[in-house]
Amino acid sequence: MSIELPVFYFLAAITIGAALIVVLGRNIVHCAFSLVLAFFGVAGLYVLLDAEFLAAVQVLIYVGGITILLLFAIMLTSRASGPGVRILNEQLGLSALIAGGLFFLLIYALWKGIPALAIKVPTQANVPTIGRVLMTSYVLPFEVASVLLLAALVGALILARKEKD
Amino acid sequence: MAADYAYVGLFLLVGILFVVFTIEVLSRLLRPSRPNPEKLSTYECGERPIGGSWIQFHVRYYLYALVYIVFAVETVFLFPWAVAFHRLGFFAFIEMMIFIAILLVGLAYAWKKGALEWV
Amino acid sequence: MEITLPPVDLGAITPELIVTGTALVILLVDLFLPRDRKTPLAYLSLLGLVLAFAASLPLWGRARYAFKESISLDPFSLFFSSLFLLIAALTILISTNYLEREEIHRGEYYALLLFATLGMMLLAKGMDLVVLFLGLETLSISLYTLAGFMRARLRSNESALKYLLLGAFASGFLLYGIAFLYGATGTTNLKKVAVFLGKGAPLSDPFLFIGAGLLIVGFGFKVATVPFHMWAPDVYEGAPTSVTAFMIAGTKAAAFSAFLRIFLYSLAPLKPNWSAVLWVLAVLTMTLGNVVAIAQQNIKRMLAYSSIAHAGYILVAVVAGGELGGSSILFYLLAYALMNLGAFAVVILLGQKGEENLNLPDYAGVGYRHPLPALAMAIFMFSLAGIPPTAGFMGKFYVFSAAVKAGYIGLAIIGVLNSVVSVFFYLRVTVMMYMREPRAEVGPIYTSPALAAALVIAVWGTLQLGLFPGRLLELALRSIRPLLG
Repeated sequence: MSIELPVFYFLAAITIGAALIVVLGRNIVHCAFSLVLAFFGVAGLYVLLDAEFLAAVQVLIYVGGITILLLFAIMLTSRASGPGVRILNEQLGLSALIAGGLFFLLIYALWKGIPALAIKVPTQANVPTIGRVLMTSYVLPFEVASVLLLAALVGALILARKEKD
Repeated sequence: MAADYAYVGLFLLVGILFVVFTIEVLSRLLRPSRPNPEKLSTYECGERPIGGSWIQFHVRYYLYALVYIVFAVETVFLFPWAVAFHRLGFFAFIEMMIFIAILLVGLAYAWKKGALEWV
Repeated sequence: MEITLPPVDLGAITPELIVTGTALVILLVDLFLPRDRKTPLAYLSLLGLVLAFAASLPLWGRARYAFKESISLDPFSLFFSSLFLLIAALTILISTNYLEREEIHRGEYYALLLFATLGMMLLAKGMDLVVLFLGLETLSISLYTLAGFMRARLRSNESALKYLLLGAFASGFLLYGIAFLYGATGTTNLKKVAVFLGKGAPLSDPFLFIGAGLLIVGFGFKVATVPFHMWAPDVYEGAPTSVTAFMIAGTKAAAFSAFLRIFLYSLAPLKPNWSAVLWVLAVLTMTLGNVVAIAQQNIKRMLAYSSIAHAGYILVAVVAGGELGGSSILFYLLAYALMNLGAFAVVILLGQKGEENLNLPDYAGVGYRHPLPALAMAIFMFSLAGIPPTAGFMGKFYVFSAAVKAGYIGLAIIGVLNSVVSVFFYLRVTVMMYMREPRAEVGPIYTSPALAAALVIAVWGTLQLGLFPGRLLELALRSIRPLLG
């Protein structure tokens, strides 16, 4: 257990550092690549939590798909890829206040602990468990997810495709 | 369980360090330094590079990426089902077939609309 | 090796299956229809909606759970399912004309509308936060697309983009709230949450409060309460008018159905805490919505702010709670859907290709040139303002009297004052129609049997609920009871 703590801090530092670059970086392509690193850090945290399936999903979908999509989107826009994008606007103060408030609220809640949480942490490989639960208890959400994906696909094609007719 | 991934982490670390060490340290020490414009230009498989690399891409790449993500998410659902399949029996098979059938409608749609063509 | 048979009870979700099946068929049939012959799809989707409604009728008999308690078949969810089917059907009726006029020849419109309807039905039926979230996302993703359906129009693109960005943000808050609620109670099942909190769990758990708070923020975005309303006017103005009508009537009702189930049912032990927050939100929402609506010249924008204000009235009833408050919400949402869909039907009717006639001066003299649509519009405006004998009046009456009986007299007074303010901008439309000289050179209006049918239904419903509210109120009371235990 003792090794987990430094590993956690290492991964957390990578994630937060990379996320800060995403938000504060001036070159939007660098931001996108930094996002890859942040996603990797989160995947590492999932592994640390024994959520290996989630980690794999994180790498497959977020690192492999979402960031590629993001990069294409950046490349699509003609001038956004140039350096020097404005990153702050006049609402800085207000949003800092709200984000800071939420942050301290969350810290406070974590400080007070998690009294009620009594979820058994799985001890064996969790992929078969996820498979079983998806097919039994959560079969309805599972099928709805495919409808959701279909709606997303149709929507994406409608909005992104040039009309040929 | 997370301990098993320590090996993965170790490999990752060694891999990164190996590349950084050989390129940035070892080769710097061993190689002769004779730069010329030809060498300093971007490597394009021997071709002379034309223009910058930050150009406006065609929207078709974006469409492919969009379709890819939707089906990648589907695959993510397939994986735990496949792992647990032998314990779940016929019913899970039907459930997955329904799931795939709904997405096949999406594939048919994308196909017919020409989203899969490289125009 | 044990074989676990999944808890599949297809009978419980027949209406949803029919809606989904129709949407899939439409998607496939559309691929083989010529470009300018998409109207049969409208009738196909109407047929699907009617069949789904018919299939939901036998379910009223016996309240039960299905799919391992992840959905609930009680009068509450069935009331809302029927409401959503009605809203979807009316939207399709007012769409055909509009889509033809604006030359949107795309069959996906109907498929997405049905997907959105499926999402709404799941929001009403879901007993599990996972189901609720998936329902909400199905609804939202379909709506993002529908909002941007007029790709050639800049406003429509702006609408879709704003809705997508802020909607995704709101979904994030909602998911975060769900995670905290799960952390505090150890379950995503709303029944188990209710049991957990009911048997004397420590209610001072900060996780619980943060979860509830984030849920309020997330749902606040979706129903457009102040201060989470910023997106609403732009999105509602830019989206195709028929989609705006659907969003204003449908999304609000759907989000409220899930909100009520979570807050009135599962988080009932925390009511003293969240009702204080909602009290403030209600006052802000009513006041800002009504005051800003006064300044609007564009009718879609005015109706957008009016919808914000109406979310405020509904929040008043949520704060009041209990049987009276709860049933008044159900009554109000139905009345609200009818009068808004009706008003938008008239807006569509009076528009023309390329010139939608959305500004207030465009309505000058309409009362003489098109007496029947003008009369309908006047009825809807009276109803929105809450003037008897209309559905809007009865709705407001029930909401405010529930607030008074629950002891929230201050809130009721603020609500009534707001209603008085709102009379000004609703009646301005009527005054414009009947007491101003008509503008020169306005072309003829194009009507269709479908649009006329939608208008007749909306007018009939608005008057019927205003004159004989008793039966619906009884149904609403019966529907809200399972939530209050």
